Amino acid sequence: MREPRLGRSIARRTATVAALGAGLLPLAAHGQVTPEQATQIRDAMSNRVEALTILGGASGIAGADFRSTGRFEFSEPADAAIAVSKFGGAGDIGDPQPLGSLAVGWQPRLQGNMGWLEGTQHLNAGLLEGDVNRIKTYGIEFGGGVRFWVDDHLSFAPTLSGLYGHTSETYTANSVFMRTNLETAKQIGLVDWTLDTWTLITGVDIQYLIALRRTIITVTSSPVYYHTESFESSSASVNVKGDSGTWANMVDVDIPLGVELFGHELRMGGFYRWTGLYGGLRDGLHESNFNEIHGRLVLDFLTQLWKVQWIGIGGSYIRGPNISGWTAGADVVFRF
Amino acid sequence: MRPAEARATATLSRRICRAPAVVAALALAGCWSAPVATVKPMGEPRLIQDGIPVESVQVAVVSSVDRSAGTIELRMRGRAAIWTYRIGPQVSGLDNIKPGNVVRATVTEELAVYVLRDGELPGKGRIAEDARVLAVDASYRLLKLQYPDGRTETFKVPLGTRLEQMGAGNSVVIQPVALFALRRRG
Repeated sequence: MREPRLGRSIARRTATVAALGAGLLPLAAHGQVTPEQATQIRDAMSNRVEALTILGGASGIAGADFRSTGRFEFSEPADAAIAVSKFGGAGDIGDPQPLGSLAVGWQPRLQGNMGWLEGTQHLNAGLLEGDVNRIKTYGIEFGGGVRFWVDDHLSFAPTLSGLYGHTSETYTANSVFMRTNLETAKQIGLVDWTLDTWTLITGVDIQYLIALRRTIITVTSSPVYYHTESFESSSASVNVKGDSGTWANMVDVDIPLGVELFGHELRMGGFYRWTGLYGGLRDGLHESNFNEIHGRLVLDFLTQLWKVQWIGIGGSYIRGPNISGWTAGADVVFRF
Repeated sequence: MRPAEARATATLSRRICRAPAVVAALALAGCWSAPVATVKPMGEPRLIQDGIPVESVQVAVVSSVDRSAGTIELRMRGRAAIWTYRIGPQVSGLDNIKPGNVVRATVTEELAVYVLRDGELPGKGRIAEDARVLAVDASYRLLKLQYPDGRTETFKVPLGTRLEQMGAGNSVVIQPVALFALRRRG
């Protein structure tokens, strides 16, 4: 009976990241861009937009407050803040049903997400000192699949979904250099651009449930593939066509405490999740993986409040080779 | 994308593309079965636990209201018998309720869960079961029952309920207790 969850994660993030293309401006604005550099710039921008679209809009990537512990490629020293909010998740609907005459159960699975990302970068060195670069990404994802139960413990859920993303970039020139060259930078499409993208997302969620008395341990492995392309761009320099991947492996523990508060049983739990990043996502974020530890303390509302499994508080700490982050807030899970 | 990255992404993509084949292969070797309430229950015939208070929201037809006795008779959907509930002090609007009205009733009941053999409990004779256990979720304290007409209902049982001893096929006797909310439908 366990499972279906459509979760809510609202997170705000601060980070030290290099803004898209901003670090490349000196080269380009001088008109000294070689074909190789132009390709490099386009690839870097493409990867970054692809990564931010997936980070901001896809349900499978963790939300958190990130802070850079390293430097991104092509960047000049900069302070930046990125705020990402997400509302969404994935869940299985109803109880498993027999699949014909096979000894397999099935149930539909839905997944969706709405997310938005806002980044502000203050450039602190070189020709661009004092300039401000802002980037915004909106994303909406919807899709689904089917979960197949091989037995009462092991199940697989192949899924397919689509993600629409809209990214815009604006640049405020305060430095002498950029006040002089801003129009040139706009003309060649390095600043003040907008971009619409679509992303095809397919993956499989492999899950194994273990019940130890009343404690539920869930082991999950979930490889996901993303193909992103732009279909509308205000800049000839900014287009996206790329492939990315994630491979998340997670162990979740859900423990009932046997104590009631306001008529609802307290439960505590948490998970450890390792997520490998591949392709444009890895290049765009300059991260090979995330390690996430999550803890929660919640009240059990299952069958006591319509479709709500639990309500409580939770928090995560995330660490990658170059960034670390955290998130804290309401932890609400639904069961359909 | 660097060549090594492209290879890694391509490898991941290939693995995902192969997933349906892997799923199909495992599905053929599956051993999942839907829960069945008519299975032979485990263990010796006995009373596992009685007096388990549960809350239920039911669509019912009012048979009678006896204000002087403080009781109401309801025929619940899917249940053959007419059951009598004590009217709780918080129930309002009874003046508008007449026999034959369809209502949405929030009631408390008590469950008794048995392991029976051929419907009998040694020393007690025949036990008239109202439902059977279909599934048990000990972690979230859920007891899913199936009524004779095939309808199912999931109850949240209190802490201390011996769910670890309960399982599919157990017989359940339901005792009506009290009505504490009533809303007329239609």
